[in-house]
Amino acid sequence: MSTRAAEPHPVEDIHGDGRWMSMHKHFLHDAKEKEPEVVLIGDSLIRNVVWSPIWKRMFEPLHCLNLGVGGDRTEHVLWRVLNGELDQIEPKVIVLMVGTNNHGDTAEQVTAGIMAIVKAILDKQPSSYLIVMGLLPRGEHPNPLREKHTTVNQQLSNQLANTPMTTFLHVDDQDFFLPGPKGGDPVTAANGVIPRELMYDFLHLSMDEGYQKLCDPLLEEIQNCLGTFVKVESTSFDTGSMSEDAAVEKCELETCREIKFRPFADIEGPHQLLL
Amino acid sequence: MNKSHLASRLAPRPGNRMVDEPEAEQQKERPDCSESRNLALSLVRRGVDAWGLERVSVVPGGLGEVQSAIMAGDRLTRDAGSPDSRLVLVGISRSGRALSSGTPVLDSVLQFNFITNKAIADYLLANGFNSALEHFQKEAGMPQEVEKKFSGLLEKRWTSVIRLQKKVMDLESKLSEVEEEVNNGAPTRDRRSPGEWIPRPPERYILNGHRSPITRVVFHPRFNVMVSCSEDATIKVWDYETGDYERTLKGHTDSVQDAAFDATGKTLVSCSADMTIKLWDFNGYECIKTMYGHDHNVSSVTFLPSGDFVVSSSRDKTIKMWEVATGYCVKTYTGHREWVRMVRVYQDGSLLASCSNDQTVRVWVTATKECKAELREHEHVVECIAWAPDSAQPAINEAAGSESKSPKRSGPFLMSGSRDKTMKMWDVSVGTCLFTLMGHDNWIRDLVFHPGGKYILSASDDKTIRVWDTQNKRNHKTLQAHPHFVTSIDMHRNSPFVITGSVDMSVKVWECR
Repeated sequence: MSTRAAEPHPVEDIHGDGRWMSMHKHFLHDAKEKEPEVVLIGDSLIRNVVWSPIWKRMFEPLHCLNLGVGGDRTEHVLWRVLNGELDQIEPKVIVLMVGTNNHGDTAEQVTAGIMAIVKAILDKQPSSYLIVMGLLPRGEHPNPLREKHTTVNQQLSNQLANTPMTTFLHVDDQDFFLPGPKGGDPVTAANGVIPRELMYDFLHLSMDEGYQKLCDPLLEEIQNCLGTFVKVESTSFDTGSMSEDAAVEKCELETCREIKFRPFADIEGPHQLLL
Repeated sequence: MNKSHLASRLAPRPGNRMVDEPEAEQQKERPDCSESRNLALSLVRRGVDAWGLERVSVVPGGLGEVQSAIMAGDRLTRDAGSPDSRLVLVGISRSGRALSSGTPVLDSVLQFNFITNKAIADYLLANGFNSALEHFQKEAGMPQEVEKKFSGLLEKRWTSVIRLQKKVMDLESKLSEVEEEVNNGAPTRDRRSPGEWIPRPPERYILNGHRSPITRVVFHPRFNVMVSCSEDATIKVWDYETGDYERTLKGHTDSVQDAAFDATGKTLVSCSADMTIKLWDFNGYECIKTMYGHDHNVSSVTFLPSGDFVVSSSRDKTIKMWEVATGYCVKTYTGHREWVRMVRVYQDGSLLASCSNDQTVRVWVTATKECKAELREHEHVVECIAWAPDSAQPAINEAAGSESKSPKRSGPFLMSGSRDKTMKMWDVSVGTCLFTLMGHDNWIRDLVFHPGGKYILSASDDKTIRVWDTQNKRNHKTLQAHPHFVTSIDMHRNSPFVITGSVDMSVKVWECR
């Protein structure tokens, strides 16, 4: 079992519905037909970003393809990379995030697993930029898994330092912790409590705030690699603010109607009223 | 009616109001104004304030000067003992509009104040505010008895104001609609020549039904119908004038990439990622022929002007010509180094143009398969091309800035759109780029020439469609067309309609004005 994390292996279909293999086949088809400039591959943390508003607003315009599968361990992603998911495409940037599901593996084994995927990706796509995401903290309170992740991140940071075309991007664990009271009581922040607003089950990120923390630095890195920047959505936001203005104006008019006399609007009024 | 509510309204609230002082210069002209001005200000605080004006100005000056003048001060001057009767009060509502019926009616205003006081007195009496009534009568200098004929007047006035207020608001909203029309420059169709008609928001129809992104939309050359191709492997036929769904053409087994009608509109040709090309009888909506021969996704297909042949381009890097009668492949054009995205035939059928993932545009002699030109300037995949119609030649010449001495360019001209977000106009006869249009913020997916020749329309992954003024090389108009990438655009040759298709799975019909 010692090197399991670094050996390619498909998911064992313990439920018997073949979902994982179906996903893989769909990914192969997508990879053949779509021409993504950015590919994200990994576990549920990668998969679920498509449901966040950031995906539609920021990732879609960059022509992204999401190859995340919930529950995937390093060996599963490695198997998918080696079995064609990156074969038919020429992405400019590949984002890899996996490892949090490698239960039972030591930090060294997880690191070895991720490094094996990095090598496989670089073999398949030598001209793409690769962004390897550090593992996120998990659990409401500090626990051994968090410590393992910290170790993995340190090892990745060291081992990837000299890899060409590859960036290790780690969002500081502190960013996910409840902030200390104003004026900075470091004790509270150091308690390392993760609020549900950011990780609703203390593992997965919430759709807006949680993914914001992860995606802001990631998007910046992706766009640096691409050399282009998404013009922040003209459509939705402009019209949004316009309708807001209209709403405010309407509200004003309503208020106006409610509380205001307009004596000059019906300047002929008194005569009529007298009649 | 809530009594305390009303009472608070009647109380002076100077803090809430802005009282504009008269201009210093104007005061100089009329030194005797100051007393009547004071009176006016006190009137403002006491009476006008209660009427709920946002802002009240006291303007010394002729009524003609201030069109929005409300009332002039016969009473003011009399009370103030001033010979000057030219004080004007102007009320301004919160929305910034002057409140006025245009002509000040002095008598009615005076009577109005008088009546209002009586009505208030009646209200106070009727509701048993006796001490308030007493004080009010004293302050207003009214007789002790309250006349019966004013009973209920305040309430009536209240409701009439609301009714009129509603009318004002309805008219205001109507006005703002008209203003918007004017500002957005959306004139009626008969006021502009057909050559100037461009699509205007909002869309006339949103056609839903496809289950995957739309890849192409094409007008029928004769009937009021259009077809849409989708990644759901179907082609759908729609009536663009009524917005009705007509039928679905099924047969392809993978994403349909492109479709085209012959000149008569009797035959439709389509191509697909399933590597086939299909000919459809558009009378019976039957697939009459399926042509096999490409080794990969067929990205684009079109008829030659005669209608006897179709040409197709494919991800297998080739362009092929097919005989409609037999279904045989009769020619293969090779040279592109990557996926060929689109192929289009010049009006007279003598030339083909193609564009590719290899970032080039190529022009081929149809008859000889010779590659006449390789146009290399784009910095990313070239997605789309369109031959300029003859009507566009003057504008293109103007835009290319050819000096009046030199002979005019006669083309043929070809426009290309690329993932590098630019569009380029090429003079195919010499193989040079005449000018580049920049403005889209993402990949350009499709383009079409306006039949009038003055404009080019483009569709992009920035979710907009844009109208380009060819002569001035300018982005003339931008329409936020879809909530997702716009993949295709077509403009009818005769009718004032534009259609777009999007990854959002919808087709939109836009009316041109």
